[in-house]
Amino acid sequence: MNLRLIIACFLAFGLLLTADLSAAQSAGYHQVQTDPDQQVILTHWALQHIMARHWPDSTATGTGKFQTGIAEATLRDMINEAVRNGRARHNTHGRSGTIYEYDFQRQIGTTIDGGVASRLRVVVSNRNEVITAFPF
Amino acid sequence: MHLDYRLNEDRETDWSSVTEEDLRYRVALGNLIFHVGDKDFSADWGWIPLVDLVASFAEIVRKLESGSPNETFEFTESDAWVRFERIGEKVSVSTSYGEGVAEIALHSASAAVKSFRERLRSDLDRRHPQAAHNPVVRKLLGAA
Repeated sequence: MNLRLIIACFLAFGLLLTADLSAAQSAGYHQVQTDPDQQVILTHWALQHIMARHWPDSTATGTGKFQTGIAEATLRDMINEAVRNGRARHNTHGRSGTIYEYDFQRQIGTTIDGGVASRLRVVVSNRNEVITAFPF
Repeated sequence: MHLDYRLNEDRETDWSSVTEEDLRYRVALGNLIFHVGDKDFSADWGWIPLVDLVASFAEIVRKLESGSPNETFEFTESDAWVRFERIGEKVSVSTSYGEGVAEIALHSASAAVKSFRERLRSDLDRRHPQAAHNPVVRKLLGAA
């Protein structure tokens, strides 16, 4: 009798776990949990990558640009704020890593059309290193 | 549908050691030439990672063929996008940076992406022979 009760409880617990897991998976398929204390690594190479494409004096076309006066320290702070407080989602179509997007509610740069950009998108690798970051 | 590219000159990359992240964001950069019907969705920004683009397009076509109702390609360095929406055996294409919507048969889109991938693979192998031996390049562009 006790054995039957134990088996029944075990099976019920297993079913409960399975249902909970599938509900979580379907509800949060593209969402990623954010960590309020998370700090990401901005390497020299990533900084060069961002500066070449998104710095105010960059000649790259079709990209958002940071506002004049941006400095490396400001960029680091903005990236960490976006990662801590932004909306996170999995990177798309086979690209690894996580995309964070955060609205600073003030102008941080310009969009690809030259309009006001208040949001920052940060792409972070699975090694917690920034791949790119740009205003939009 | 005309899907093509213009690849930038690159004499600095060591193609034997490029990683998937390099291919997704930093190397094989160039322009996208993309016409559907009379609509021109080309992007001549010069920084588009072309291996990433075609690998992503191939994944998008595979998902559409498997029944996904729509898929969106996001460019790596801007919020620009290309949206593909399946309507029966056709796909409608729209972008955030070009005007209009165009339609194409799904099998034609699939063939155009396959052709783009094969041409890019041959082009890279010819320009950078070490690329042919890099498994990550093979993974994203398929075997010859």
